[in-house]
Amino acid sequence: MIQFSAVAKRYPGGQEALRGVTLEIAAGEMVAVTGRSGAGKSTLLKLAAGIERASSGTVVVSGQNLGALGETALAVLRRRIGFVFQDHKLLYDRNCFENVVLPLRIAGFAREEAARRVRAALDKVGLLARERALPVALSGGEQQRLCIARAIVNRPMMLVADEPTGNLDADYARAIVELFASFHQLGVTVLLSTHDEASVAGLGCRRVGLAGGTLA
Amino acid sequence: MIWLRMHAHAALEALGRLARQPVASALSILVLAIAIALPVVAAVALRSVGAAAASMDTEPHVNVYLELAATDADARRVEHALRAHPDAARVRFVPREQALAELKSTTHLAEILAALERNPLPHAFTVRVRTTAADRVADMRAQWMKLPGVEQVQADFEWSQRLAGWSAFAGRALWGGWALLGAAVAFIVGHLIRLQVVTRRQEIEVSQLVGATAADVRRPFLYHGMAQGLLAGALAVGLAAAVAGWVGLELQALANPHAFEFKILFIDTSEALAILAAGAGLGLVGAWFAVSREMRRFSGAREGNLLPV
Repeated sequence: MIQFSAVAKRYPGGQEALRGVTLEIAAGEMVAVTGRSGAGKSTLLKLAAGIERASSGTVVVSGQNLGALGETALAVLRRRIGFVFQDHKLLYDRNCFENVVLPLRIAGFAREEAARRVRAALDKVGLLARERALPVALSGGEQQRLCIARAIVNRPMMLVADEPTGNLDADYARAIVELFASFHQLGVTVLLSTHDEASVAGLGCRRVGLAGGTLA
Repeated sequence: MIWLRMHAHAALEALGRLARQPVASALSILVLAIAIALPVVAAVALRSVGAAAASMDTEPHVNVYLELAATDADARRVEHALRAHPDAARVRFVPREQALAELKSTTHLAEILAALERNPLPHAFTVRVRTTAADRVADMRAQWMKLPGVEQVQADFEWSQRLAGWSAFAGRALWGGWALLGAAVAFIVGHLIRLQVVTRRQEIEVSQLVGATAADVRRPFLYHGMAQGLLAGALAVGLAAAVAGWVGLELQALANPHAFEFKILFIDTSEALAILAAGAGLGLVGAWFAVSREMRRFSGAREGNLLPV
């Protein structure tokens, strides 16, 4: 599903976030990328989701070399990958329904089908009763779940979550991680990052450690 | 089908955005409409003046009026002298009776003229001349004024020729006006769309993160610009029609007493449709440049990151 071959990522200014990372993640696998803050976890996830390009090396997702794809093809590929952002990336002037329907509108879904899928996704994360609420009216955990609903509404082949439990208390964090585990059990490839190894303990997923931009 | 749905959705979104901000939208469209209406009004004025000028006799001629007391023998002597002049191409004698009859038939003064005890008009000659050079016309006038029995010599073709010349020049200048005001419309739409893009920057960036292509981002803004241009074009035609109608009424009121006919020639349906299409096209072009420019700026602000994370 995902192959990293000698991948390096340097940002303008010279900061090297990843160095020589070689990693393979099989379809349907659940992988937790662990490491301290600044280890390069977010960069790895963004490369896997086609949000950033590698400076060197190759990233292949579902048989497609992302470095060789044009902007449009990369955008179309992102429609098949659900990304849960650390800072949520919600539209705070739109209600829950409108936030979740955004990927379906972009993909050109018919209104009725889109509404059906949005309600199913909101139901899955326990927010169906809040579909008309604005994100500011939601708690941190609910906002995280709303972000997950937006990520799964397109029925993606892969879910990528960057520190999905970062700002949550232990109970909420556990619930969120279990939600990802339930998607994994449905056959979805799940790649998530966390600095808190305890939050993914007991899930039975593979753990990949990162330190200073290299695999630990 | 998906393609069509995406376009329909973008068009509806653009119209919805216009409807949700009725005052701001109306003011923007009004500004655009005025910019489009200005050259339309100018074109209508030019066409009307051009038609009036074309209906006038612009062949160079000089009118020679004899004294009221001039006899037929005087008239024959003057005619002979006029025909002998090298710059006279053709000479037509207008007897005073014929002049009176023409005046009665072509003006509304028939009743007044009928009330007069005697014909107030003199014998006259209309001389088609071969030149319009000011010095030669002046020589001609001076020579003919000296002829016995001649009261007045008038060379009154110059103004109509000048009018025709100015009309042709204004026609050429109008194309420049169209180009300038067309560019102004595109810039205004571009500026309005740019503000929209900046306001919706977060939405655009999130859309790109969840799979929107550049075309997906651009599409609703293009429809927005096109809708503004189209509505402005329609309003401009309405404004121009109102101005033309008002000017037409005013001129009619002025022209009647002098029996001078000046018709306002307004644009026809196909021209009105062309203005609507031009408005939509300019809106589209303005929006295209604004969105493309802002998207490039967004990309630049990310300092090499593909997307804003």
